[in-house]
Amino acid sequence: MNPYDEFAVEEALQLKEKFKGDSTVTIVSLGPQRAIEAIRTALAMGADKGVHIDDPALAGSDSFTVAKALAAALKDIPYDIILCGKQAVDDDCAQVPQSLAELLDLPQAMVVEKLEVADDGKKATAYRRIEGGAKEVLELTLPAVIAAEKGLNEPRYASLPGIMKAKSKEVKNLDLAALGMSAGDVGVEGSKGKILKYMLPPEKQPGKKIEGEPEETAKELVKLLREEAKII
Amino acid sequence: MREQVREVFWNIPVWAQVLHYVLSVIAVAILAHGLYQRYRLWRIGQADNRLDRLPERIKLFLLHGIAQLRVLKEYYPGIMHLFIFWGIVALTIGAGVDAFDHYVLHPLGISPFQIGSIYLIFSQLLELFGVLFVVGLIMLLVRRYVLRPDRLDNQWDDAYVPLMLLAVLVTGFLVEGLRLSVELQEVDLSYWYSFSTIGYILAIPFEAVGLSAEAGKAWHFGLWMIHTILALAFVASIPYTKLLHIITSPTNVFFKSLRPKGSLVPILDFENAESFGVSKIEQFTWKQLFDLDACIRCGRCQDNCPAYLSEKPLSPKKLIQDLKNNLSRMGGQILSSETEADAGSQEGSGQLLVGEVVSEEELWACTTCRACQEQCPIFVEHIDKTTDLRRYQVLMESKFPSEVQPIFRNIENNSNPWGIGWASRADWAEGLGLKKLSEDSGVDYLLWVGCADSFDDRNKKVATSLVKVLQAAGVNFGILGTEEKCCGDSPRRIGNEYLFNTLAQENIETLKKYQVKKIITACPHCFNTLKNEYPDLGGNFEVFHHSEFVAGLVREGKLKLSKELSKTVTYHDSCYLGRYNDIYQEPREVLKKLPGIKLVEMSRCREKSFCCGGGGGRMWMEEDIGKRINELRTDEAIAVKADLVGTACPFCLTMFEDGVKAKELEGTLQVMDLVELIAQAI
Repeated sequence: MNPYDEFAVEEALQLKEKFKGDSTVTIVSLGPQRAIEAIRTALAMGADKGVHIDDPALAGSDSFTVAKALAAALKDIPYDIILCGKQAVDDDCAQVPQSLAELLDLPQAMVVEKLEVADDGKKATAYRRIEGGAKEVLELTLPAVIAAEKGLNEPRYASLPGIMKAKSKEVKNLDLAALGMSAGDVGVEGSKGKILKYMLPPEKQPGKKIEGEPEETAKELVKLLREEAKII
Repeated sequence: MREQVREVFWNIPVWAQVLHYVLSVIAVAILAHGLYQRYRLWRIGQADNRLDRLPERIKLFLLHGIAQLRVLKEYYPGIMHLFIFWGIVALTIGAGVDAFDHYVLHPLGISPFQIGSIYLIFSQLLELFGVLFVVGLIMLLVRRYVLRPDRLDNQWDDAYVPLMLLAVLVTGFLVEGLRLSVELQEVDLSYWYSFSTIGYILAIPFEAVGLSAEAGKAWHFGLWMIHTILALAFVASIPYTKLLHIITSPTNVFFKSLRPKGSLVPILDFENAESFGVSKIEQFTWKQLFDLDACIRCGRCQDNCPAYLSEKPLSPKKLIQDLKNNLSRMGGQILSSETEADAGSQEGSGQLLVGEVVSEEELWACTTCRACQEQCPIFVEHIDKTTDLRRYQVLMESKFPSEVQPIFRNIENNSNPWGIGWASRADWAEGLGLKKLSEDSGVDYLLWVGCADSFDDRNKKVATSLVKVLQAAGVNFGILGTEEKCCGDSPRRIGNEYLFNTLAQENIETLKKYQVKKIITACPHCFNTLKNEYPDLGGNFEVFHHSEFVAGLVREGKLKLSKELSKTVTYHDSCYLGRYNDIYQEPREVLKKLPGIKLVEMSRCREKSFCCGGGGGRMWMEEDIGKRINELRTDEAIAVKADLVGTACPFCLTMFEDGVKAKELEGTLQVMDLVELIAQAI
């Protein structure tokens, strides 16, 4: 599981512990078959049930279409708060949570380091770090979308009974039809942007060490900076 | 001249004889009751078969229960215990023989042990054992109350037992002396001098003060009563004092685990079991509980424990004693609640061990170095208890030092604790011309690289050196490459049996896929796990540590060690190679063959080697209490003026290099794996 998602799951579990009663943590994930593993990990940590959105047509979706699919799935899932990781760790786009909030027309707090939910469950206070190390404190009316940043909590390590129990917990599978969407809404076609190509960063050139007397090395350095690096 | 007769119950009236028997029966009854109570406590533990391989057990019992070879490893306490033990044995046998003679042989008309020359020899032998017994007890009192070594803590019965025994012995000798002084007035028994020496010597002052026969008899009778009552009190108090070890310690040796030293008992059923590890005292096996009653608090474990010596809160002796006290306290409650309710509903003691009896700091301080178990004269098994407690914490509670969680995650995601991408596991081997088994599995040996040698920059050099050495010797070998995964040692020692099990099964499957038979590895942790723990999960391979394998190559003349190295080297025994697998000789053998190497030994070496601090998952934990174990060990290497520490374990290498850096001795004290030295010499 993506570490930011782990913070989100942990926060959800802590809220469940705080409010006890019959609160439920549902894990919603969009991805290929292997996304099931991440869902099971969250279930092992203590989440109650899972929803796996998987359809071949979803391949190549950008953040916006992912958010659309999630919003569609959330129509049938009751919620008091939606917690997400602040970004994926592969493409680092960091766009799904805010898109989802817009699509659902919910208040949002991104990159949250600390979250307090009022005892009545109606309001939440979110703390986020902004430029220069300053803190921004937001008050939100719930339901709202919260994107988790490192530091929000210390995710728990699933206990063995948790892992065993997770194997028998319900994970619902949703395809596009179940979401009421068509192939044109998602995937490459439904995306706002297109990925043209992926490139590796250029390989680092090994450093050069100039040895000798200071006067000569200084001369050599200036020469190299001018002729090879062309920066002076 | 009167015949040499030992008159049983001389000067003892019949009523006192009868009283003596009545008291004997009472004493034995108290003894039996106490033993039964302890027996019931052991029985609250879980099942464990310790009656297999009887011939081996009998041999162990004779060597370590009776001959007590491990007790004798330390001279002062060893000899002290030898005198006391054989004193008790001899006097008990003496009393038994007397009774047998009196009640069985005498009525048949023969009395070899009470009349004639056999009696005299027998008498003198007992005299000798009695004297040694007294000497042993005085040594004990001097050690415990004058010398006061750190490892001894004094409780009431530590004084009660030796003083009581001394009193029994002194009154016994006085009774004999008084009898002789009275008899000497009646007949000439001076030749007895050489057969009841002490009694005779004690008779002299009585004679000198002119003690009348009548007064002598009165004193004799009075002291005899005291002697008898004390001796019987001694018997009765066995189960209630440290004397219990007379019974439990040798028995514990008999019940010793016969599994390979390096293998923890596996959890095999994850699907159906409801609880894993141990949280409460009754979840230990009966043998683990028996261990607690066998421990006599001698403290040899504590004297050798790196955690204790580096001022951590853990002492193996204290751990065992704390668990024992919990057994005594909670066991009774468990037993009484069992009789009230049905035996089926085992709600148990309700007291959690970790946090209440064993602190978390103690639990996580153990490096599983096995020094405690190696020194314990009666084979108390500390490490399986620690691991069982850790298992509960990790598997059931998910409670462990926070720095361990990323390690678990790294192993889960990338199959190595460093968390470096699994796909780069074989990067170190690029350009070395190594075969991967996926390309060619027709090799004689698999080189099991291990995570450290694959991902840690310093240890990659060890791997490279090993490859160079194996290639120079013409060994036909290959590696698994990216198919290799963490062997599972660290997670297993930390208590994550589930992760270990997953890794082991995956590795075994891979090894079987390529029909691997023989494995060489540079890591003693991988070595121990593959060799001793994988068989429990169906993986049977012939596993060699590189030190023993290379020693073989040198012996066979396959390696020419020609280049002079001119270094003073001290070899640091890795726990998992030495104490766990008895490989002490091979690394030294190799070092001695290196040209120009002078080998010096640190004060602690071989079985008594001091851990580097990296075992038992400690490699991955912070060490913020007390001193640093690796720095203490580095000091020992400095003390013998070595300019190079030879290691044979990646963790030891890392810990030593850190120790050298902390002491700012880089450049003065080098740290190298054995195989790096060999690679330099060829």
